[in-house]
Amino acid sequence: MTQRKPNQPVISKHNKPSNRKREQSAVNHKAWLRHHRDTALDSLLRLVRQPVSSALTWLVIAISLTLPTLFYLALTSLQQQTVQWQEGGQITLYLRQTVSEADGERLTDELNARAEVLRAHYISAEEAWASFRETLNLSRSPFATENNPLPASIVVIPTQQNNQQLEVLRILIDGLPEVEEVQLDLAWIERLNRFIDLIYRIVAGLAALLGIAVLLVVGNTIRLAIESRKAEIQVVKLLGATEAFVRRPFIYLGLWYGLFGGLAAWMLVSLVIWWLSGPLAAFLSTYGLTAPIAWLSVFETLLLILAAILVAILGARIALWRHLKDAEPQ
Amino acid sequence: MIRFDQVSKRYEGGHEALSSVNLHIQKGEMVFLTGHSGAGKSTLLKLITRTETCSSGQVRVNNQLLHRISRRQVPFFRRHLGIVHQDHQLLMDHTVYDNVALPLVIAGEHPKDISRRVRAALDKVGLLKREKYRPIQLSGGEQQRVGIARAVVKKPVILLADEPTGNLDPALSKDIMNLFAEFNRVGTTVLIASHDLGLIARLNYRVLSLNQGKLMTTPFDGAQS
Ligand SMILES: Nc1ncnc2c1ncn2[C@@H]1O[C@H](COP(=O)(O)OP(=O)(O)OP(=O)(O)O)[C@@H](O)[C@H]1O
Ligand SMILES: [Mg+2]
Repeated sequence: MTQRKPNQPVISKHNKPSNRKREQSAVNHKAWLRHHRDTALDSLLRLVRQPVSSALTWLVIAISLTLPTLFYLALTSLQQQTVQWQEGGQITLYLRQTVSEADGERLTDELNARAEVLRAHYISAEEAWASFRETLNLSRSPFATENNPLPASIVVIPTQQNNQQLEVLRILIDGLPEVEEVQLDLAWIERLNRFIDLIYRIVAGLAALLGIAVLLVVGNTIRLAIESRKAEIQVVKLLGATEAFVRRPFIYLGLWYGLFGGLAAWMLVSLVIWWLSGPLAAFLSTYGLTAPIAWLSVFETLLLILAAILVAILGARIALWRHLKDAEPQ
Repeated sequence: MIRFDQVSKRYEGGHEALSSVNLHIQKGEMVFLTGHSGAGKSTLLKLITRTETCSSGQVRVNNQLLHRISRRQVPFFRRHLGIVHQDHQLLMDHTVYDNVALPLVIAGEHPKDISRRVRAALDKVGLLKREKYRPIQLSGGEQQRVGIARAVVKKPVILLADEPTGNLDPALSKDIMNLFAEFNRVGTTVLIASHDLGLIARLNYRVLSLNQGKLMTTPFDGAQS
């Protein structure tokens, strides 16, 4: 290795970069901003000047982002729907014969007061018997006068039907001494929720995979850009360009790809929604259901574009990290 | 300004391009470096620009010990140097003006200063009228002069040139050398690697001669401390 004499200053005071930096910090700050602006513009121009090849890159980004976004939209609207649909789901509590009508009413009021309960409705033994006979057309049959075998019951409609809250409600009901038997009409909602959880996971996994795809696509595009400007990089490095200076145009290139890709993804998503919403509404109306309003909110749109930009910049950084070493001056 | 103490450079393949080189070039000197092909001229210049690092010994340039400079400081060190290459290394998709402005842009100079200094540098090499051209539209000699303008635009303390006249005819070569001499007269330290012995002989400057990586001429004795 090299011989080093002790006590020798690393660099003379006069040339020490940090000193120079402090002296010129105001000037440098402006120059730095100016260079950022110029580089951003220059990278944008480069991208615009090669519309076909750059469009390929940001279209791939757009498509990779469109798929998970659509799935996400479908899921969130499905979840909103299950909140509506759950009104069809209910819990029936059959009360013991020993519970008086007054006690039954009181219990109903208690249940109504709970947050987990949207509505509780008391059905006395007589009411149940009457409606039973009516449905079976027994009013004139000899059974009509026989003793009523039906118990009184309370019909409970839960407020929210995610699995935890259902569980809380179930524990509560199971602990009630007045209740003889519980009949749950909610199994299908629970299954639907489980299914949605599963799909959420699949969508998250898919989004991660496609995110990696964006990373690779941008990485590869930036790698090619680095390669094509290798001579230029070597020259500016010999002229005293810092790493940051050399990286900047490529980071901005990534930023623009991300921005264009994100915007294109947003347009694709809107197009698909527009394309599907008519037939979907028609389809759902045959089941007596209203179609969900699935549209990206402003916040979600910004999030989508921001995610595209961040992933693209990350891709650019990875490409720079891997390939800038090859562009050291010779 | 430039000082080598027992500097050796062994490349990865094991080839020793420089062995135990001692030299001292003083501030304001103009020195030629000659030697056969493969003697190690370019290697010596690369050690000065810290494109390569020496295997042993120490290199001191502009009062800085090069092996002590961190990677982050290298760009700031290089901003004190002006470098001219044989193949001029201009950016072909930029104008002459932009090429010459590059060192100033990198250093973050103000656009107003930049245009003034670029014009001054182009004026000195006689290419003021060509500022909007692309390098490809210029002759070999003109391209080389653009390369020189770029090297001197930031008023470097040291001007290094590797075979600056390699591709040029004798008349043009002489012009280029005169240009270097002019910069030297205003105080720039100049080191030129060249094997154009005829040209060097006619100019009256100190000559360092490399042979198989060894320095033949004794270092500038008066400067030895
Ligand atoms: N990057 C490298 N890796 C390995 N060996 C190298 C490298 N660069 C140069 N060499 C070797 O070092 C020796 C000196 O090379 P150098 O380029 O310094 O010679 P030179 O004097 O500039 O020659 P020329 O006049 O032909 O330009 C040569 O033998 C060359 O093969
Ligand atoms: Mg050489």
